[in-house]
Amino acid sequence: MVIENVLAALNELATIHTVILMMVGVAGGLIAGAIPGFTIAMAVVLTLPFTFGMPAVQGLATMVSVLVGGLSGGLMAGILTGIPGTPSSVATTFDGFPMARSGKPGLALGIGVWSSFFGGIISATLLMTLAPQLARIGLEFQPWDYFMLVMFALTITASLAGKNLVKGLIAGAVGLLVRTVGEDEAVGMARLDFGSDALLQGFDFIAVLIGLFAFSQLLHDVRDPKEARKTLSERGAVNVKIEHFAAIREIFKHWTLLIRSSLIGVFTGILPGAGGSIANILAYDQAKKTSKTPEKFGTGAPEGIIAPESSNNAVEGGALMTLMALGIPGDVTAAVMLGALLIHDVVPSPTFIAEEPVLAYSIFLAFFGATFMMLGLQSIMLRVFVMVTKIRMYMLAGIILGFCGIGVFAINNVEFDLWTLLWFGILGFVMRHYGFPLAPMILGVVLGNIAELNLARCMAITTDLAPFVTRPWSLFFLIVAVFSAAFPIYQAHRGRKIWTLFYLPGACFAAAVPLVMMGGIPRPALAAAVALFGAYTLWQRARSGWRLDPNEADDLNLIEG
Amino acid sequence: MRRLSHDAIIAIVLLVASGILFWSTFSIRAPDYGVLLPSTWPRMIIVALAILSFIYLVQSLKAGRNVDDKDVAPTEEYQREPGLKGWFIHWLNPIICFGLFFAYLATLPILGSLIGGVLFVFALMSAIGGFALRDIGLHAVLSLATIGGMWSIFTFGLDVILPTGIIFSPF
Repeated sequence: MVIENVLAALNELATIHTVILMMVGVAGGLIAGAIPGFTIAMAVVLTLPFTFGMPAVQGLATMVSVLVGGLSGGLMAGILTGIPGTPSSVATTFDGFPMARSGKPGLALGIGVWSSFFGGIISATLLMTLAPQLARIGLEFQPWDYFMLVMFALTITASLAGKNLVKGLIAGAVGLLVRTVGEDEAVGMARLDFGSDALLQGFDFIAVLIGLFAFSQLLHDVRDPKEARKTLSERGAVNVKIEHFAAIREIFKHWTLLIRSSLIGVFTGILPGAGGSIANILAYDQAKKTSKTPEKFGTGAPEGIIAPESSNNAVEGGALMTLMALGIPGDVTAAVMLGALLIHDVVPSPTFIAEEPVLAYSIFLAFFGATFMMLGLQSIMLRVFVMVTKIRMYMLAGIILGFCGIGVFAINNVEFDLWTLLWFGILGFVMRHYGFPLAPMILGVVLGNIAELNLARCMAITTDLAPFVTRPWSLFFLIVAVFSAAFPIYQAHRGRKIWTLFYLPGACFAAAVPLVMMGGIPRPALAAAVALFGAYTLWQRARSGWRLDPNEADDLNLIEG
Repeated sequence: MRRLSHDAIIAIVLLVASGILFWSTFSIRAPDYGVLLPSTWPRMIIVALAILSFIYLVQSLKAGRNVDDKDVAPTEEYQREPGLKGWFIHWLNPIICFGLFFAYLATLPILGSLIGGVLFVFALMSAIGGFALRDIGLHAVLSLATIGGMWSIFTFGLDVILPTGIIFSPF
């Protein structure tokens, strides 16, 4: 069955037209990812209008290719200029830039490229094998569970996205509110339209995403007149050749680190709201802690490039897993991918892989194929990157704003979408300036109608609110939502306040309850393991006399930094 | 009297907006069918938003300054020239972008997306990058090539009907 689906998907993908589009996508993603200030989500969102006219498989393969290219592009700027191309490659600069400056830029790039490749392959393999299993779990979900899953996705995104939880939650609520404007999807009544025909249609969420993310980012990039006129090459880009063989040898010396970092990436991707920006720092931190020579980190250690680069490429496999199996995007980029799927009339849900196997397996294979293409194209695109670095920032911003103006109109051929782009561009710019994270707002916009539709279904079945706490999955998501919302407070007081010693054991005991309620054998066994871990942690802390460790606070500062 | 911080002002704006939006939910028609009224979900969000805004207001008043000063780049704020003129100079580039995009949208029915787009990109580049003769030539070539290319891809490659404007409509 799986082989049949793979062959059918391969048949769809293996056309010259699709392969060329995928190569263009990877190349575009590599360049977009390499330019500081242009995020991967921005590259993917700007590709979206081009895919409207394509068949679903072709369009989605192109988008996946841009995504894979973007994930790997950030390392070029990070290693050569010390300025990370995307937030996902921040940790790559810690050791990549020093290695490049010490006379080994080709080796640094090679390690980055091959780590990205292996991370992507591990992630794609897990995506292909685990997504159908996750979808099976998803089939157990009822509307109450889905509603709580959305709430969990929003709270964890709000808690991880910014320094202030309240600002994150406000951003999430504003996103949910934006999605309520216009006719409601359940009964078709006009809401918050203030008598305007344009508002009655609601805001097109792709226009909202481009406005919030791309438009506001471009304005942010050209805010400083001096910086706007600078080229990237003025910041230190150099022309080099990638040293492939030496890099592969170096990576094979640290293969356990590669696998561990890739798994960190996949797991972080599965978690809603936690994307590559968190995964690369976590993997770097783990690599340093487990290294026999941690003192070499920051001076050009190969492990310091392998860990972040393999993890940030592995993230999207995890994010796509949640998206394809449950219909819930794991991060902003996956939210844009959800938009792409919806535009092609594909609604991801637990039954998606079973009902649309060719399309689902096409996405899996596109992820694989794009990862191989990325490897081949990286050397060529490095030369293009050096050329792009000669273009001034304001020129790039002007051209991309012009593209936005055409691309957004093409979504629905409606002029109001362009006004949506402008107003949300302004809103995004103001929000960025005052420290409101945009990720929760974007997830709020994307998930708003899913939450409302599931709430309506719950109420249609019964007006009793008890199932929200009596259904195991709903209770599980409620508990993890509460603990994830409390995480920033825990983070701020860890190692300083006594109650923080009970946070982790408390979370373990609480999460074990719904796992036991789920019945069967594996889940109660997992619950027992989780509860035992909580008890062990508690016992350790009691044995040390409830002593607070100030170093714990410092550990977290590294991750924040 | 102590001046309110940016955060406190934003929190007040959010509270006022929540009030207006909550009031506007009373004009949402209630159908005779369905258990979840169309106004229920927006009201739930608005109430949550109001509560969060109130917490934000309390946080900012207690802090006596911006809740997260790093986010507003204090060094830049202090380096900025005082008064309205200073504010205008500080934000000149984003204002130019907004203003020109607004003009592009307002003139779209007349100029269409090709002429309007090229003019917008050219004007934006020149306004931010400067009006030196060499730069102007480069800006003109870049805006024509990129927007012209993009317009051609959408019009001829993807069969998207972009706004033609009054000038191009006879053709």
